[in-house]
Amino acid sequence: METRKRNTAIMFAAAALIAIVGGVTLFPMHAPAQAKKQAPLALDGAASVTPWKRYAGWPTRDESMFNTLAKLASPPAPKEARKVPDGITGDAANGEKLVADRSRGGSCLACHVMGPAGKADLPGNVGPDLSEIGNAGRDDEWLFNYVNDARVYNPETVMPPWGTHHLFNDQEIMDIVAFLKTLKAPAKFRSVLDDPMKRPAPVETRDNLDDLQNPGMWTIDRAKDLWKAKGPTGQSCASCHASEAALKTWAAGMPKWEPRLNKVLGVEEFVYRHAKATTGESWLMQSDENTALAVYLRFLANGQPIKVDITSPGAKQAYERGKALSGRKLGQLNFACTDCHDKSKAGLKWIRGQWLGEQRGQYDHFPTWRTSLQTVWDIRKRFQWCQVNIRADELPPDAKEYGDLELYLASANAGLKMNVPGIRH
Amino acid sequence: MADAKPRLKVPKEAKKGEVIELKTLIAHVMETGLRKDASGKIVPRKIINKFTCEFNGKPVFSADLEPAVAANPYLQFNAKVEESGTFKFTWVDDDGTVTATEEKITVA
Amino acid sequence: MQTMTRRQALVLGTGALVTLTVADVSPLLATPAEADAEIAKFTGGKAMDQGKISIDLPEIAENGNTVPLSIIVDSPMTADNYVSDILVVADGNPRPGIATFHLTPLSGKATAATRIRLQTTENIIVVAKTSDGKFFTDRKQVKVTIGGCGG
Repeated sequence: METRKRNTAIMFAAAALIAIVGGVTLFPMHAPAQAKKQAPLALDGAASVTPWKRYAGWPTRDESMFNTLAKLASPPAPKEARKVPDGITGDAANGEKLVADRSRGGSCLACHVMGPAGKADLPGNVGPDLSEIGNAGRDDEWLFNYVNDARVYNPETVMPPWGTHHLFNDQEIMDIVAFLKTLKAPAKFRSVLDDPMKRPAPVETRDNLDDLQNPGMWTIDRAKDLWKAKGPTGQSCASCHASEAALKTWAAGMPKWEPRLNKVLGVEEFVYRHAKATTGESWLMQSDENTALAVYLRFLANGQPIKVDITSPGAKQAYERGKALSGRKLGQLNFACTDCHDKSKAGLKWIRGQWLGEQRGQYDHFPTWRTSLQTVWDIRKRFQWCQVNIRADELPPDAKEYGDLELYLASANAGLKMNVPGIRH
Repeated sequence: MADAKPRLKVPKEAKKGEVIELKTLIAHVMETGLRKDASGKIVPRKIINKFTCEFNGKPVFSADLEPAVAANPYLQFNAKVEESGTFKFTWVDDDGTVTATEEKITVA
Repeated sequence: MQTMTRRQALVLGTGALVTLTVADVSPLLATPAEADAEIAKFTGGKAMDQGKISIDLPEIAENGNTVPLSIIVDSPMTADNYVSDILVVADGNPRPGIATFHLTPLSGKATAATRIRLQTTENIIVVAKTSDGKFFTDRKQVKVTIGGCGG
């Protein structure tokens, strides 16, 4: 098995070398001195596991009926509010259960304080406090339609279209409305921590570069070994990169528009394609080896201000695409990146007990150790997980749309100093 | 696969009578015995259940650990040093494996 | 098109096994009474005084997988007056026991710090035993946060 894999790898490496002999210097130190050398890259094939299969243990929902970053599929917003026949008959007790049910798309408590619902245990504050909505003079039809699809009243809403996107059925929405009508007094919090308006924003105080605090640092030891190990071509990273110190600023300029591939390359995809074209190693994105090297290459640039190119022609277009994608509503919950991470929407607010940060500050510490999962995640895996949890299908890690989005995100973090590996929950 | 290598932060020098701080960690999954794998079977318990620290053969600090201690068990404690010598640290796995390491300190 | 090698499949597959989410744990939780029983075993039923113990825990833990805990007990740590043992239990975990620390006068200071797993919002109870046979106790609550949409 090992020999067959090795032979396949060698054949693939040879094929890749033949394929790229056309315009790319193979071994920079043997080529005549050039003003700007292009790093050799394997230009064919995917950089991640193909066909892409969602990680085991992640939610298995099929969300193909809703928008992804790669395709538009969601049903259109209704043009007008639905007429609701004479008053709502609903079970308020069931409504109280539904609004606190995390399995139903995060639940209403993710964004709203709602009186006694969920025992007022860490509700969020993305949306207004609804504890006295029963006294706010709203009629049944308005309440029904706001839950069913708030876009008929506010096209810019962050509210998921609970009815239009089949998160709740009509009877459940009526049960929720029945419960809302009972809310006539401010919520009683058992602790000041439960009140999202008083809860202090979390501050990360751990020393992420202390290997006794952050197991993410241990991947650097692994990366240093990988750096020196000879691949199938007999070359190692060290064969051409004798001094890692020379790479001090490289990662701070990533991701980067790559004209040979007509897409933005992040560090992880670069590691795969560059290793494949030089040492012959096949370190697919999100493999342990790829992640270790991605951590290491960005670690080498720690302290450097992030500075990505968004002005040269291909990069400018990619940046514009990324910016547009960050505003696209995705998935069954119908959230755009900006809905959660822009302070004009839900940014700097609480969803349940979870703080939503802005784009700026969300990139400088990737790849990051995740304490809740006991593993290191690169930025593409974070994108994928976000998507799956807002009930949108994720894309493969090397999707060009992720590249565009990463370039936009990196530019929102321009000037921030690289600080990798991070440590987060 | 986690490496079993312990990681330590112990001062190399100290003054006589000084109380120093020691930070220790060992990479270990600390499997609780309550978790189910992908097929629904319980993953058996496997933890570091004991840690000891001696200085020049005398006990300084030890800990009995339960599965509620987080993975990659971290232990921080103090020691009063009156003379130069060697700290010896041991970690004992449920399966009986003992990992041991030493650190020297100069005390003037 | 490169098909997934067995090794790559293993990397993807072990993702589930390696994740140690507290959510995977058995839903049966120990009760405060079981925590008290652990304490009674440690003290032999002897009375405990309040005071001398300082417990450092976050008010809210972002996830229950790794919560930093630091304990300081006020003691001269001399040969005839030192903290000999510190018991740590929880009243909302599947089982109450967390750790027992054993100290000596060579410890210099009665401190111990570690990182613990918490299943849910619960109390951490610390009991310190001194060399002259006395017991001290204190407790602190940690709120384990509830995530937004599962992200």
